[in-house]
Amino acid sequence: MSLVCRNLHFAYNGHPVLHAVDLEVRQGEFCVLLGRNGSGKTTLIYCLSGLLRPQTGTVLLDGLDLARAARADIARRVSLVPQEHADIFPFRVLDVVVMGRTATLGFAQRPGPEEYRAARRVLAELEAEALAERGFNRISGGERRIALLARAMLQSEGTLLLDEPTNHLDFNNKYRLLEKIKGLCREKGTRVVASLHDPNLAVRFADSVIMLAGGRVLAAGEARRVMTAPMVSQLYQTPTRRIVTEAGGILFVPCDPGALSSQGVVEQRPTMRWT
Amino acid sequence: MSKALTAGAGATASSPAIGWNKVLAAGLIAALLGSLGIGWVPISVGELGAIVRVWLGAAAEPETAGKALVLGMVRIPRALVTVLVGMGLSAAGTVYQGLFRNPLVSPDILGVSAGATFGAAVGIVMGAGTWHIVQLLAFLFGLAAVGMALLIARLVAVQPMLVLVLAGLVVLSVFNSSITLLKYLSDPYNELPAIVFWIMGSMSRAQWADLQVAAPTIGGSLIMIHTMRYKLNVLSLGDLQATSLGLNARRYRLIFIFLASAIVSVSVAICGQVCWIGLVIPHIARTLVGPNHEAMLPVAVLSGGIFLLLADTAARALTPSELPISVVTAFIGAPLFTYLLYRNRGSGWS
Repeated sequence: MSLVCRNLHFAYNGHPVLHAVDLEVRQGEFCVLLGRNGSGKTTLIYCLSGLLRPQTGTVLLDGLDLARAARADIARRVSLVPQEHADIFPFRVLDVVVMGRTATLGFAQRPGPEEYRAARRVLAELEAEALAERGFNRISGGERRIALLARAMLQSEGTLLLDEPTNHLDFNNKYRLLEKIKGLCREKGTRVVASLHDPNLAVRFADSVIMLAGGRVLAAGEARRVMTAPMVSQLYQTPTRRIVTEAGGILFVPCDPGALSSQGVVEQRPTMRWT
Repeated sequence: MSKALTAGAGATASSPAIGWNKVLAAGLIAALLGSLGIGWVPISVGELGAIVRVWLGAAAEPETAGKALVLGMVRIPRALVTVLVGMGLSAAGTVYQGLFRNPLVSPDILGVSAGATFGAAVGIVMGAGTWHIVQLLAFLFGLAAVGMALLIARLVAVQPMLVLVLAGLVVLSVFNSSITLLKYLSDPYNELPAIVFWIMGSMSRAQWADLQVAAPTIGGSLIMIHTMRYKLNVLSLGDLQATSLGLNARRYRLIFIFLASAIVSVSVAICGQVCWIGLVIPHIARTLVGPNHEAMLPVAVLSGGIFLLLADTAARALTPSELPISVVTAFIGAPLFTYLLYRNRGSGWS
């Protein structure tokens, strides 16, 4: 049971974005995509959700070929939380969340009491029942992320694709949201592919990482093993230090411009304490 | 409103709207009775009852025979066509605003009205013998205009909704220029005034024959839109999200555009262009029951019927000669729209 993609190539109007991408994400695995802006993270996520069709290569989700599957069949297995989007009609949060059930509704069907109950239940799981009756356009950016995550969970707990889920979240909310997501992987066996901009969050939460540079996989594998100082430095094209704290946490810190020297990047054990 | 919703656990979106639907349905019946009575020949409610009794064969009252003729041949078909057109244009406006995720969109955005008006003008200039040919041309050109806009957007094929708006602008401008050219070339004594009056829009031509056309086309489209209305919520999130939620966004959008365009084409074919209603009525409905299309579409449809019926009654009763209906709808619609903009300020969508 895994999400597999083999030899994926994708180009927008002849401009290549992804080259020969291979990946495999197992059930219950939290996989993080890392890469600079424009490295192809969002495009890869759209390919994995079947929204974009790669020019060559296949995406297999538990054996289902996304290129041949019906939209509703894909939607029942994979849900997507896109990046911040334009304003929508001032729907209630509950109305937005219940749209997660769209794929199960027929031509003339509308969500009924059962669907609304399920939507409230998912909001409750995220400790966000209080949002249900609020206007989606009036809640904070962090609350919107939670609401969209609730919608994605209602849609499918099999595979979640999250495009920069921590954008616009404050220090506390970033950790809370990722802990929730991590909990889903552990408790419900949800497979998560999320793009993140912060290597510190990735190394703390991810089971595996895929580093994308210029549309190619620079490195992939178990997070703590792959995320070495040289790899992270190469990925972000910034000399970066990897600091291992006493409690075993890992921090990545860009080197001070003044400290840039021929020795480049070092791994050191400072006296700093991880709390 | 939100308190009432929380009270019933698992309450769906439709509960507060049902009250409004009842109020509006009663309002529509009252407006119909009023509209049938008001006019050059006033007919009281008592006389209405008497005439209906005569029609049912329950009484014979020859003194109301003249009024019965006015009622049966003129007012009833006109009122029914007006209500249908008002309902249809409001539904079309709701559909277009939902699809384009933009509350400032009116049903003309893809060039339907301009195409239909051009079709009518062609019919008039060609000297088509009957109104039926003019109406048929109006209907066909209305759909052709939308087809052209969709085709242009398909050829460009990036950012579908944005391109569609621009393609609509292209089509709109081509047909508007063609109308100007036709006016310029037409005979200034007969054809030109006919075209100009057509464009002004009026319900005065409405007859039973129009109802035979409008009932299946506008009525059928209304039923389809009502049935599928929940999908508008999902489509209003945009293609990306609608598709990832499992909706075949392109197919549903095409169906909605076809239904809305058919409504507008038939409306222009029957009574010319009626402005403002498709823009302002969805706003009223959204203000009353919120943006969820499940609840707001029926409210928009009922309000649209009432609005156009009142506007038409005012158009024929206010002055000795009839006012063009668009003048009345604009004089009511524009201030109403301004008020709604003021009322809805800060709703997170301006």
